Amino acid sequence: MSGFDISKYREMFVEEAEELFESADNVLLEAENNGSLTDDEMGQLFRDVHTLKGSGASVELTLFAEFTHDVENMMDKLRNHKIEFIPEMAGTLIDGLDVMKELLELEVAEELTRETFTEMTTELLVIVRAYINGENPSVVEEIAPVVDIPEASVESSSDEGFSGNFGLYDQEVDESKFNVSYGFFNDDEIGKDNDHYGFFDDELSEKSKTAITPIIEHEENEDFGFFDDMPELTPTAEIKANNEDQEKAINNPKEEVAQVPVQENTPVATGAPKSSPKRAARAEKDTGKKASTSNNIRVNLDKIDLLMNNVGDLVITNAMLTQFSTTIEDNKTRNSVLERLELLERHIRDMQDSIMSIRMVPMESIYSKFPKVVRDISKKLDKKVEFKHFGDNVEIDKAMIEGLTDPLMHIIRNSLDHGIETPEVRVSTGKEETGSIIISAEQANGQMIITIEDDGKGIDATKVALKALDQGQIDENQYNTMSDNEKAMLVFGAGVSTADEVTDISGRGVGMDVVKTNIHKLGGAINLDTTLGKGTTITIMLPLTLAILDGLDIAVGDQKYILPLSAIVESLQPTSDMIKKIGDGSQDLLMLREEFIPVVRIHQLFGVEPTFENLEDGMLIVVKSGTTKVAISIDEFLNQHQVVVKPLDKNFRSVEGVGAATVRGDGSIGLIIDILGIINAQMKIERTMSPSQKAS
Amino acid sequence: MAKLLIVDDSTMLRDMLNYALNEGGYTDVTEAVDGVDGLEKAKAATFDLIITDVNMPNMDGLTLIGELRKLPTYATRPILVLTTERSDEMKAKGKAAGATGWIVKPFVPEQLLKAVNIVLSR
Repeated sequence: MSGFDISKYREMFVEEAEELFESADNVLLEAENNGSLTDDEMGQLFRDVHTLKGSGASVELTLFAEFTHDVENMMDKLRNHKIEFIPEMAGTLIDGLDVMKELLELEVAEELTRETFTEMTTELLVIVRAYINGENPSVVEEIAPVVDIPEASVESSSDEGFSGNFGLYDQEVDESKFNVSYGFFNDDEIGKDNDHYGFFDDELSEKSKTAITPIIEHEENEDFGFFDDMPELTPTAEIKANNEDQEKAINNPKEEVAQVPVQENTPVATGAPKSSPKRAARAEKDTGKKASTSNNIRVNLDKIDLLMNNVGDLVITNAMLTQFSTTIEDNKTRNSVLERLELLERHIRDMQDSIMSIRMVPMESIYSKFPKVVRDISKKLDKKVEFKHFGDNVEIDKAMIEGLTDPLMHIIRNSLDHGIETPEVRVSTGKEETGSIIISAEQANGQMIITIEDDGKGIDATKVALKALDQGQIDENQYNTMSDNEKAMLVFGAGVSTADEVTDISGRGVGMDVVKTNIHKLGGAINLDTTLGKGTTITIMLPLTLAILDGLDIAVGDQKYILPLSAIVESLQPTSDMIKKIGDGSQDLLMLREEFIPVVRIHQLFGVEPTFENLEDGMLIVVKSGTTKVAISIDEFLNQHQVVVKPLDKNFRSVEGVGAATVRGDGSIGLIIDILGIINAQMKIERTMSPSQKAS
Repeated sequence: MAKLLIVDDSTMLRDMLNYALNEGGYTDVTEAVDGVDGLEKAKAATFDLIITDVNMPNMDGLTLIGELRKLPTYATRPILVLTTERSDEMKAKGKAAGATGWIVKPFVPEQLLKAVNIVLSR
């Protein structure tokens, strides 16, 4: 297609296709489970696949479009009840979509050859085309020639059974020749371009008009109200007779007319009064049901981020103004100015909330990817698994979806591969034959909590711990003092897996540490609870948004930092008996209710001149990430407020312990402390200490 | 300057149409995502030409044409249907619905412009 940057549109198409595949997959999965398909669902399936074909062809994915055409054909027949749905078809169509996905991927990568295409599609096409022909492939499989008949017809209707790429029906009422109805520029008249377009036109010669005349079905003729409304028109009867007379003779010999559906489900829209009210009513019904889709617009997330930033600036300006207004000397003026600024602040907050709500999307958009994966993997592994999801409507920041989908997918794959047992094993251990994986999401305490629960065999904590010990991730001392759960948590360490064999589904354990890292990147924490033989529950806690956080201003020396409120466990003024020293005396431990918590001196970490030497003279804030706690030593804490998170520019070298920045009310920059970074820095310090120091 | 409305549920195709039309000098192009949206937008402004897809959620293109033809503004204005179905039957349906003509998807930009030029010059 000249003049087009095809790759740009292909990119758009691939994105669009993903949504269409997902939508179609989910309808089919449900159909596979229920053994039935409603007319609405079939309509949707057809539309999805139809769009895939049309758009695919538009971006010159010809092989993809070619195969999709057959799948579409089958869905079209189903939709029109030319063939009746049987449960086995769902599986075939799901396989069809899978092949389409593979073809798309290969063809976009320019790696698809005709040979590969044939190899990938032949088997499935036999089944699809048998269904299209109203046969049941599972019954007639032995009859090989079945393939050829539909192939010829399908291909002809798609490739050659087409006379042009555009045409015009003439309807100029004022033109006297209108009454000769319509015609067609045949190939001779159009010349080179003829392949792409043609006209239905009153000005056509008799010859061309009769050369190719649209086939008008009886049913449609009844609805042929368009011409009826025009007094100048030739009576429809004449056209009809004309058409019927010539129907056979005029057909392009390459075109299999018999293959063209005799009746379409979609009523032909006309101006005929009798059919209009019905159609209008139907349209209205449909509109009501899906009105929301047409009210949606797609907006690039960057634009929303920009909007959020703008509002952030507004918040800051407002804070500056408020601060300045307090210096107004006249009491009356000051108070009325402050009063109005408060109103402004409230409006800005409302605006902030509104923008936040734009960023939020339901969890459903993540969940919808999973049923297909569960089905495919459990089939492959011969396991029976029921997948349930809760909290579909719980909303999550769109920016988080990308980072969250992969970890969740990995956890589910792991559950399927290593967690859920085969039906035989399950029965022999007194469990239900069908295993279950439940994913749920809820918002609690300003956090998003996602749990993935399976009733599989659980994680063998000892095995994991031994492996970690073997790899030197933990030492013997740690091994002996760790609880079972802590040992199980070691699966999140790099390269640890309980699987003896490496599988292509969840690999060899390179994944779980990535899961943990990804969740941490989102500012979240992950927890694992497992009981051998009973199952595993993984809990992921995430902040509700990445754009705003509740922060606490803390003073460290002459510097101020912001600590995310969600990470704070408690704060206290330590007494000297609560502080223990280990090693060479440089490392402090806070003993809090029988628990030893390492103390991090932020002064040291960030190179700030301390104002006190003894920890008792400052404050300690206990923070945690996941299950790890540290106590941060600071001078004092100041006020608590919402901050707009701004990423640190790439020009800055990344400093361990500083995650992002914000602008304060007075215009100064505030650095936001990254708890995980602090903990990592602390671990490094601990690791550099020799074992003997640790033991002392 | 002719005012055009394109109705298609595929963002990509709307983009491609828009691009091709812009290249051909048609810069006043409004987009609608389905029949319902198209009808609403058609009512809100007067378009010289409407190009619509057939298979769309909420309201298909043929229904949209039927609805448009009922409106005095669009009783005779040109409407083109975009169709992937190359069968004569599809064309007959488009005609029956009241369309002025048809364009097959995938379309060639030059051909699209040719069709648009012809239909607008009449």
